[in-house]
Amino acid sequence: MPHAEPVAAVPTDAALIAAWQGGDEQAAAELVRRHARALARFLASAGAPDADLDDLVQETFIRAFRGVDRFRGQCRFRTWLLTIGGNVLKDAVRRARRAKVVPLAEELRATDGDPHERAVAGEAEWRLREGLGGLTRMQREVFLLRAQQGLEYAEIAAALGTSPGAARVHYHHAVKRLKEHLA
Amino acid sequence: MNEQELEQLAQRLGARAAERLDVARTVQAVVARLREAPRVSVVTRLWLQPAWLKVAATVALLLGTGAVTRGLWRSQGLAPAGGEATAAGLNDLSTDQLQQLLEIVEHPTDEAAPVYPADASLDDLTAPQLRELLRSLEG
Repeated sequence: MPHAEPVAAVPTDAALIAAWQGGDEQAAAELVRRHARALARFLASAGAPDADLDDLVQETFIRAFRGVDRFRGQCRFRTWLLTIGGNVLKDAVRRARRAKVVPLAEELRATDGDPHERAVAGEAEWRLREGLGGLTRMQREVFLLRAQQGLEYAEIAAALGTSPGAARVHYHHAVKRLKEHLA
Repeated sequence: MNEQELEQLAQRLGARAAERLDVARTVQAVVARLREAPRVSVVTRLWLQPAWLKVAATVALLLGTGAVTRGLWRSQGLAPAGGEATAAGLNDLSTDQLQQLLEIVEHPTDEAAPVYPADASLDDLTAPQLRELLRSLEG
């Protein structure tokens, strides 16, 4: 009869954050490995251009690690990270506008500009992304945190500094506008 | 399209872009950047808090006022004892300034305030927070 191998305990995000605060680089590396794809998915959905996605993900982690002392467990680390990603994306769009590279609306829609890519992605996804670009930032982030990440309103509210009721209103406005856009 | 279909569509969004991300390369890049610029210490962050800045500015104002007052008194041959300089500085403040000072000293930090991401900007502040910030800037 085979002996059961002891299962190595997987450190929680909180334990990894504490380790990073103590100077453990490997803890930071593990947090990146754990959350990078979810962050990339959120940023891409929120309108981050494909060409900039790597840089935006890195910048988000850098800001998060440098400001981790302000994370007090009011929500999950991933949720907090996604909201920082939203700020990083907002700043990137603002810089692009100042540099007059492309207008904001086009910047937010520029993710899948390639016609082939667009065909692969599917018309519905393309139009949803287009619709998301037309929402306010709060509506867009609440919608993605709720519909894509499956978070409760209370956690969304804690992460975005609003009330659960207000988050619910933002979500329903977003759904209404997206339905109209996709109709 | 109903709400459930919309949510299903949203769950597929960005999946391909996320799959294309080279996580190992991202890990290396982030760790390298963290090594280049070590994070700011807790003590430095505390001093960057607006409430602490207010307290520090108030103390500096009081000390400065006290020093000027003491200098004037000395020039008039009326050197005061140690604590009187600060008292003289306080005497120079108006009622409103004294009330504001008391509020700051009594409530140096707002523990109940919601915590925002580390990189929150002016755009992220609510109207009451902006008013509070303006008040603090106006003195």
